[in-house]
Amino acid sequence: MHDQPGLRLALRVCAAAVMLWLLCAVALAEGISIKSAELTHTDGGYTLEARYDIDLSPTLEDALVRGLTLTFVSEFELVYPRWWTLNFWNKKLVEREAAYRLSYNALTRQYRLALGGFHQSFDNVEQALAVLGRVRFNPAVEDDDVEPGSVYIANVRLRLDTGKLPKPLQLDAIGSRDWNLASEWYRWTFQP
Amino acid sequence: MDVPAVKRTPLHIVRTSLISRGMKLLIAFILVLGAVMLYLLSTASANTALFAADLRMLLLLGVGLVLVLMALVGYQLLALRRRLKARLFGAKLTLRMVLLFALVALLPGALVYAVSVQFLNKSIESWFDVRVEKALEGGLALGRTTLDNMLRELAREAESMAVVLDEATPGQRARVLNNLREQGGLAEVAIFTSEGSPLAFASADAGALMPEPLPAAAARQVLLQQSYRQVRQESGEGLTLVVVVPLNTADGTLALQLTQPVAAPLAQDMSTVQTLYQDYQEISLARGGLKRLYGLSLTLSLLLALLSALVLAIVFSERLSAPLVLLAAGTRAVAQGDFSLRHPVRSHDELGVLTESFNTMTRQLADARATALGNQKQLEAANAYLETILAKLSAGVLSFDQDRRLRSANPSASEILGVDLNTLLKVRVDDWQARAPQLRDAAEAMRAAIVEARPELWEKQLEIKEDGKVLLLRGSALQVGSDLGFVVVFDDITRLLQAQRYAAWGEVARRLAHEIKNPLTPIQLSAERLEHRLRDKLQTADALMLTRSTQTIVSQVSQLKGMVDAFSQYARTPEMQLQNLDLNQLVRDVLALYEGHKPVMALALDDALPPVLGDAARLRQVIHNLLQNAEQAVASTTAARILVRTALESGNALLEVVDNGPGFPPEMLARAFEPYVTTKSKGTGLGLAIVKKIIEEHNGSIQLSNAGLAGAQVRIRLPLAAASVHSLPTPGSARVG
Repeated sequence: MHDQPGLRLALRVCAAAVMLWLLCAVALAEGISIKSAELTHTDGGYTLEARYDIDLSPTLEDALVRGLTLTFVSEFELVYPRWWTLNFWNKKLVEREAAYRLSYNALTRQYRLALGGFHQSFDNVEQALAVLGRVRFNPAVEDDDVEPGSVYIANVRLRLDTGKLPKPLQLDAIGSRDWNLASEWYRWTFQP
Repeated sequence: MDVPAVKRTPLHIVRTSLISRGMKLLIAFILVLGAVMLYLLSTASANTALFAADLRMLLLLGVGLVLVLMALVGYQLLALRRRLKARLFGAKLTLRMVLLFALVALLPGALVYAVSVQFLNKSIESWFDVRVEKALEGGLALGRTTLDNMLRELAREAESMAVVLDEATPGQRARVLNNLREQGGLAEVAIFTSEGSPLAFASADAGALMPEPLPAAAARQVLLQQSYRQVRQESGEGLTLVVVVPLNTADGTLALQLTQPVAAPLAQDMSTVQTLYQDYQEISLARGGLKRLYGLSLTLSLLLALLSALVLAIVFSERLSAPLVLLAAGTRAVAQGDFSLRHPVRSHDELGVLTESFNTMTRQLADARATALGNQKQLEAANAYLETILAKLSAGVLSFDQDRRLRSANPSASEILGVDLNTLLKVRVDDWQARAPQLRDAAEAMRAAIVEARPELWEKQLEIKEDGKVLLLRGSALQVGSDLGFVVVFDDITRLLQAQRYAAWGEVARRLAHEIKNPLTPIQLSAERLEHRLRDKLQTADALMLTRSTQTIVSQVSQLKGMVDAFSQYARTPEMQLQNLDLNQLVRDVLALYEGHKPVMALALDDALPPVLGDAARLRQVIHNLLQNAEQAVASTTAARILVRTALESGNALLEVVDNGPGFPPEMLARAFEPYVTTKSKGTGLGLAIVKKIIEEHNGSIQLSNAGLAGAQVRIRLPLAAASVHSLPTPGSARVG
């Protein structure tokens, strides 16, 4: 065997690059994407209703089944745009955050979704994710927070909180697409 | 100060120190930050809640610190390189120490690192045991099976209950339900509609609320005529079994739900197993991450420690070599003659001692040099003093080296010899004659004296033929250290001799005058008395003879008296009356007395002649004497001629009397000025002597020569009034007697 080391190395690098690209493509199919988000006026304020498609990566699903608790954070912001700062330092009027904990009980073989003290059990992960994908803040914006007629920007997103993972896994999560699950910020203008 | 001009301050060396104060603070800050970071990292990997969320920040901080340290080390190494290239003193030492420190830090660090990483990987791997995993999985499976069995039991019971309840009418249902519950020992039994809302229920808990509606999944199962089983986890560790079966009554399908809690110890055990299983799985999931985390922490620690060690190594090397650099600067300064640089002693170690010694040495050197300078100044002052004395000395002083080369001469020597002796410095006395012919006599005399009378003191009187000067030379060998030399001191004793001669003649003249004058009057009186007494007694012829003889005696005596008076005059001259005189006028005044005399006196007077300073009476006498001499000289000459001339010659007034008589006999020329030296059969021989004396009293000079083939020439030089004021001797100083 008289391989040329240089050629072999080049081939390896190419292979690695292709694999990386494929992984990225797969990873792009996974993740959280927003389906809809809207603020509807109810008595005394506005209620946020957002719907996400959540697709766990195999790594995350494996981790979940092996007993890891995944914490998802749903965030909502209402900002007052400041054109004179080129929107860099907009004034945040409202910031809301909710943490959902998704876990799996190996004994009862049930998925459990908890928000604060409340929890709900599901027989399969799809059901749990479907419920997790329906985010609702009521009220998200109080009537007193906004002035009717003004134009505001509403931002919303859902993400996996890697900071709540165990330390060693956090290290894995750094820079890994498998572990970083988050929707893009979804923005829309809102005029009360 | 006599400090040499080269003064390269060593300040720039000190200032280019690698580490400034700010840099030191920065290093200290980074080191503290690194220590804190490492502590946090170690606690973070122990999975405590503290700083739980900031692992990423912590790691970034660590990497940032390492980068900053690397930059610092790089900067310092670059600075060191610059210093090495500039060949600054101490840079090599610093480099060597840095390398040494780095080696000392690197070797143990790398060793500990390698061992730690190896140990870490091994120990993490050792946590994961297949048997433990199997046991945990087995335990979990056991729990699941148990729960499944219990659910199956409960389902069977529910089926049998459903059969009983099918028969019962809606009115009997509540009672039958409670009976059945009590028979089965169940916690709660409830009947729901097919949509899932509760219809009836019986509970062991008397205060129980209406049960929750059926879950959608359960309702769907019931519609499909299948049973639904679920284990519900209540808050805490409690487990509840729930079974829902269809209940086909006459008025449609209903759902029967049986609820039974799992016995608490069992539930607890199962929960424990499940928790353990989950923990184990979590750890096994995090295996790679753990290794990476520990590895990263270790690597960061190693890098921080190594880089810190390097930075500190550079700092300490700098500190260690700084005194050496200062010492080097000091040495260089001392080499250049600057002793002012003193270094503060900061440490008490050997370097401190060295610095102290160096300072002491520098101080001693400075003191020694100050002393040497002082001595040199004293010596110079002494030399200057000596030179001043030599310069003011009227005697000429010459010194020669072993080979008779002229080493030094004072100004008086040049003046006396009439040659600038500075041009003869380093010239052998043997060769002087070639360079300056007028020194022939003096040079030969000195050479001979030096050669002949080597060590002894010698003395020699020398007459220089050219200008009639008489020198008194004294000499001696001179031993200066190992150098043998000769010193010659000489005086111009011409005047002294003259003065002595004048004085002697003055004395002789005075005595002679006295001795001669005394008998003259008795002689005259005796002669006159003889004539008076004997004239009448003698006969005419005899009387006539007597008268004639007596007259002869009287006339001769009076002539003698005149001669004696002349002697006295020569011996005792009255004080001079100096005033500005017009020499031409004086000449004309005197010539007026000679009008009508036989030889014609020609005049060639320079009208532009400035006045001279002199005594009119004496100068008149001088002119008178010269004219008389000339007149007498030309008495026997046909076509006699006398020329009187005045002129301005090289800053002096010149008076010249030339005749065309026989001139001076050669043997006379040298001694013409001495009294009683004369060519005339008649005359006192004092004329020229008096002339010479008067001229010398006027600070002038007189020169006799024969003008061509025939005739004598007398040249007199007198200083001009303006120029002679200061150099004139005090009146009477040259007076003798």
